[in-house]
Amino acid sequence: MKAFFLFRIKILFCIFLAAACLLAACNQDEPTRRVDLSERKQIRTQRELDSLTYACLPQYSHRVSFSRHHQLVEYLAEKTGLPIRQVFPDSFEAHAKMVGEGKIDISFSNPLVYTRIADTYQARAFARIVEKNGSPTFRGQIICRADNKAIQNLRDCRNKRWMAVAPTSAAGYLFALDHFLAHGITKNDFRGITFAPGPGGKQEKVVQAVYLGEADIGSIREGTLDLVRDQVELDAIRVLANTRQYPSWVYAARKELDPDVVERIKQALLELDPNQPAHRRILELAHFQSIIPAEDADFDPIRRLTDEVEVKSVE
Amino acid sequence: MNKRIFSIQRLKIKTKFHLALSAVILCLGLVLGIIGTHIAATELIRENKERGKVLASNLAYRSEEPLLAMDFLRLKNLVDEVQKANPDLRYAFILDPAGRVLVHTFEQGFPVQLLDVYTGQTSVNQFSSMLLLTDQGKIYDFAAPVQIKADQLGTVRIGMHRKRLEEMIKWLSLWIFGLTAGTTILALAVASWFSSRFTNRIKALTDSANEMVKGNLSVYSAPEPKRHCWEINNCQAVSCPAYGDTRRRCWYITGTLCPFYHLNQDEEGDFNCLNCKVYQENAGDEIQELAEAFDYMAMTLDQRIKQTQQAEKELSRQKEVLRTTLDVTPDMVALQDESLVYQAANKAFCSYFQLTEADILGKTDFDIFSEYQADQNYHEDMQILMTGKPLSKEISVSQGDTEIWFHILKVPVYTEGRISGLLLTARDISVIKQYQERLVQSQKMEDLGRLAGGVAHEINTPLGIILGYAQMLLEDVEPDSQMAADIQVIEKQTKICSNIVSDLLGFSRQNQTTKTEVNINESIEEVISLVEHTFGLSRVQILTDFDPNIPDIDGDKDKLKQVWMNLLNNAFDAIQQDGYIRITTKLCAHRRRVAITVTDTGAGIKQEILNKIFDPFFSTKPVGKGTGLGLSVTFGIIKDHGGRINVLSPAPKEYIKEIPNEGRPAGPGTVFLVELPLWYMELPEEECEELGLGGAQS
Repeated sequence: MKAFFLFRIKILFCIFLAAACLLAACNQDEPTRRVDLSERKQIRTQRELDSLTYACLPQYSHRVSFSRHHQLVEYLAEKTGLPIRQVFPDSFEAHAKMVGEGKIDISFSNPLVYTRIADTYQARAFARIVEKNGSPTFRGQIICRADNKAIQNLRDCRNKRWMAVAPTSAAGYLFALDHFLAHGITKNDFRGITFAPGPGGKQEKVVQAVYLGEADIGSIREGTLDLVRDQVELDAIRVLANTRQYPSWVYAARKELDPDVVERIKQALLELDPNQPAHRRILELAHFQSIIPAEDADFDPIRRLTDEVEVKSVE
Repeated sequence: MNKRIFSIQRLKIKTKFHLALSAVILCLGLVLGIIGTHIAATELIRENKERGKVLASNLAYRSEEPLLAMDFLRLKNLVDEVQKANPDLRYAFILDPAGRVLVHTFEQGFPVQLLDVYTGQTSVNQFSSMLLLTDQGKIYDFAAPVQIKADQLGTVRIGMHRKRLEEMIKWLSLWIFGLTAGTTILALAVASWFSSRFTNRIKALTDSANEMVKGNLSVYSAPEPKRHCWEINNCQAVSCPAYGDTRRRCWYITGTLCPFYHLNQDEEGDFNCLNCKVYQENAGDEIQELAEAFDYMAMTLDQRIKQTQQAEKELSRQKEVLRTTLDVTPDMVALQDESLVYQAANKAFCSYFQLTEADILGKTDFDIFSEYQADQNYHEDMQILMTGKPLSKEISVSQGDTEIWFHILKVPVYTEGRISGLLLTARDISVIKQYQERLVQSQKMEDLGRLAGGVAHEINTPLGIILGYAQMLLEDVEPDSQMAADIQVIEKQTKICSNIVSDLLGFSRQNQTTKTEVNINESIEEVISLVEHTFGLSRVQILTDFDPNIPDIDGDKDKLKQVWMNLLNNAFDAIQQDGYIRITTKLCAHRRRVAITVTDTGAGIKQEILNKIFDPFFSTKPVGKGTGLGLSVTFGIIKDHGGRINVLSPAPKEYIKEIPNEGRPAGPGTVFLVELPLWYMELPEEECEELGLGGAQS
């Protein structure tokens, strides 16, 4: 009996040691690949400088811009047979400047920036979008926190902190300013007007600022709230007012761009049919319903608005 | 192998405990160290990979915007920042979708072979990693795609040194094994301390057991409780057996008065003592329980042994008493079992049959006695065993010339209601038998005396008439005539007859007794004065030694003088001539009686007739010289006075030594011893010490 007991102990001991040895034998060595780091060469970036450039006004982040317009750019390149690539200016000013400098051949901007580049750099509008709601116009929205009891109407916005998208933002600033002016509230009535900091993503930043309490009220483009649905709790945001409708975003070509090229691009854009699944997919990504022709005169209301706002602001 | 096992078995438990614990702890420490190191290393590598993945993914994410904006400066800053923030990052670079290097952190050209690392993979559109073996050591290469949805903007690659990881693994292993070693040493120390405590307690038990083996039962293995039950409960029950008992736990003591006692389940199934605070405070672990039980066992054993020793002592004493009783009794006693085998025999039994106890015990009658006797006994004994009726009988056994009578009693012995043996007692009743014979003889003598007395009384009157007429005739005839001579013969013979008749009347105690105050010494001297002269003629001298303190006794003076006369005549007849007669008187102890001795230096009395000398008409004298009534009459007179008479022959030296030697014949001599009670007293049963009659026969 005792011998059997000792035998069992020895067997257990051996199993224990064997398991330990097996574990010890399992080293962490993985398959390797030999690489000689000493073999080197200087690299040089090859940029496709001969392509047409397509830029979207950076109201959203580059990522959003890329996501929305990447398919459209590919469609245009394929449709027109022209080499087209998307570029990403960091700000509205940069966008306008790049148009002026010829770095942006096809500009997709809001009507306010368009009037700037059109008036300054003679860019030509050739198409504009129909919003997802079917309207060729768009508007801005004035938002505040839903639980901010101090702000119940526009009048309550006096002496409040206002964050707008950018001074050149149409729906994100100008439309709202016009709306405030129409209701007798001037810039000086606010405790302060700030603009979304940093490059790109400015619409989202305004919503974030209001949500976090950095600003009492914010002005954004209609549709922005849906965009930030995943980042901000929308129940916490209250739309205080909607501005008037203005012509929607516009495609413009720089002054020197070959009119034939412009025409081919315009045709390609106009041919985007929301009834075709492939086109609908492109349009949905770009958050358009369709694209319609446009001409510079379509944006005169904006020019008038700008003038009025500037006058009223001065007054 | 067996030798090794046995050698292990010979080791002390403490050593075995140490060895086993050391082996187990060492093995466990080793295995746990190996496993721990392995797990830690695996986790570190995994974490490192995860970190690389996070770094690469983060860099890829942060590269999106600069990539889209084709802002190479920002890209360059990004990769440089990442490398700067992570010391173990060997390199970082970003590729465009075509696999062309956009920015990198290498200072002198880009290692082109890094571009071929993932060659063979269809596309690096998902996270990948690979361990590279370079001249600068092993490097983990992580590749993370820069993607916006399904569109790939480029690829981020980072390379992390494995050296730091390996150093960490090494450092970790060192720590783990160090901690394991430390823990092992600590565990061994604790185990050693624990085993020492454990084995010391077992050793204490072993020492106690050894002491018990040596016979010392006053051992204590369990520690004395710090507080006792009466202290904890503040109990005042001094009559409780547990009160004041400092060694035993109260739950081991039966009959305690504690209301919580005992360790049995109560009606609700709970153990009373388990809920008792005394038990909760004083109860120990299993070893303490064992030690307490051990102490209790030793104490109980000690008590039992003492009780047994006491019982054994008592038994031995009773056995000794029984043995002594059996041995000192003159009766023969033997005990046989139901198979008639002797189980016990007393000294008298052994002595009678001239056997030792060993010769008898375990034997039967067939082994001891003759076949005839044994057969007779067997049938007799079996009859008793079967019927249960005791047997009582008297038998006589001849031993030489003497005949010995035994009264035998056999009774059945009962044990638990059944006959288990036979008890034999045999008493020597020879003396009783002699007394019986003497009693019969006395009865016969009494009848004879009554007859003789009647006859004498009837004859006395005619004898008086004959004597009277003879004397009257003698006065009428001539004194010198033949007639006168004849009448004188008649007168003389009539007087002889008258004397005989007078003796017969005395023997039958029909003559009148007149008791007065008698001075013993004077009465003896009066008799001596009568015979002194006559005895002197035969040169028989009478010596006296009278006690002057003897008071007068109540008696018949004449009859007592007749006693002294008879005794002196008998002494004289025994001496014939040339001898001494010594008469002494003595007031015996406690002044209850008077002792008179008459010692002569005569021929003595033969032993075979010594018992018959007081019988009437027994005489050794020739016919015509005596009637054989002298001592018989003497016996009767002494008896009438409430005394007794004994005779010793030959006379003891104590009586002879006072008598002068010269002229003394060679006879053995005889002593007559007479004891008479004083006034209104009865003679005591024991004989007078002053007479020194131990062993005397009468």
